[in-house]
Amino acid sequence: MDLIDRYLAAIARRLPADKADDIVAEIRDDLLTRQEAREDALGRPLDKSEVSALIKDVGHPLVVASRYRPQQYLIGPDAFPFFVATLRIVAMVLVLAFAVTAASSVVFGHADIAHALGRAMSNLFSSAMLAFGTVAVIFYALERTGFPADHLAKWRPQDLPEVKDKQPNVWGSAFEVAIGVYFILWWCGLVPFPTYYGNVKGLVLLPDPVWAAVWWPVLALMVARLVYNLIQWLRPRWKAVLAVLSVATAAGGLGLAYVIYQAGHWLTASGTLPADQLADIDHGVNIGIHWAIVAVGAITVFQCLQELWRLATSRPGMITVKAI
Amino acid sequence: MPVDDDIFEKLRVELRRGSLVLAVLGALREERYGYTLRQSLEDAGLLIDEGALYPLLRRLESQGLLISEWREEAKRTKRFYRLSVDGTDTLAALLHEWNAISDSILRLTEKDK
Repeated sequence: MDLIDRYLAAIARRLPADKADDIVAEIRDDLLTRQEAREDALGRPLDKSEVSALIKDVGHPLVVASRYRPQQYLIGPDAFPFFVATLRIVAMVLVLAFAVTAASSVVFGHADIAHALGRAMSNLFSSAMLAFGTVAVIFYALERTGFPADHLAKWRPQDLPEVKDKQPNVWGSAFEVAIGVYFILWWCGLVPFPTYYGNVKGLVLLPDPVWAAVWWPVLALMVARLVYNLIQWLRPRWKAVLAVLSVATAAGGLGLAYVIYQAGHWLTASGTLPADQLADIDHGVNIGIHWAIVAVGAITVFQCLQELWRLATSRPGMITVKAI
Repeated sequence: MPVDDDIFEKLRVELRRGSLVLAVLGALREERYGYTLRQSLEDAGLLIDEGALYPLLRRLESQGLLISEWREEAKRTKRFYRLSVDGTDTLAALLHEWNAISDSILRLTEKDK
């Protein structure tokens, strides 16, 4: 009796409080009925090991209690393929983001290869654990809202990419996304940006006020571009959305480039270096930025025109079926 | 190549799991409590995992297919289960499905007999 009581108490601890008594009473009755039936058959009381075997037949308290819960799994079989696909995307972005960080640390002389790799691996592991945990929690929550039943009911074969559509280069897209994520994190001050001048003693490059003025627009532009890259990677069929986003980000980028260009001076060299040397560096850096803005502007105009041309000449949604 | 025993066992458990609800509903056309229900299933050749029967009964009850009540019998209070009206209709529909599946399988495997 003591063993059975201990067993039932172990189950009761893991059951919802409002149902525990009722459920345990039923299991108790079953165990006692089976014990009596066995004792009748043997013509003697069961010993402790026989009662123990009887209890073991019912199962481990954790397993028995869990069977009374409505949810038997963390992520169900319907949601699992979406969960794995999301994990793959997250893993690729993380691997590339840390690879870019490690490579830039080496290129700009902040660390040797062994240290950069070691730090990247260590950071990758902790970030991957956090990211996978977060994805699991999101899917756990999604599944309780009916996902993916709605999605499975609503998806249309017509939305799949056409065979002739250019399939995105998965690693290339992941690389662009990783760079975008890294840039946004740097812009928000969450990760350092590897810069060569950091190795020059006595030199500090200070951003001019124009950067503070365009902080929010630049962030918005980078987020929009990240969304564009994600859609291009994961939903290449959404051509109209891609075209609109492409034109919008190109136009936004052009406007921003113009505003930034108007400032005329973007970084100020200061520090303990001799004044003439600082002046030379200041001039050189700002000339470099000047041409960089001109180049970005030209590329953006080209991209914008290219996208507008595509918009004007394509008919989204049309499917051509070739007669055989 | 002979099929691995483990694979066969998994397939067998999968096959039987689906039919267990039908067997339980069928057996509960007569009122029974857990122990006698399991006895009747075993007598019919259907073994059920000891820890799985009661959660299954609760689930079927919460789905409205069974009704239950606590009553005293043999000096102890026991929970008796029987089919509800909805359960009776569902059992009839499931039996129809079962027979259709059985016929289809027989037709498909006739030449193997």
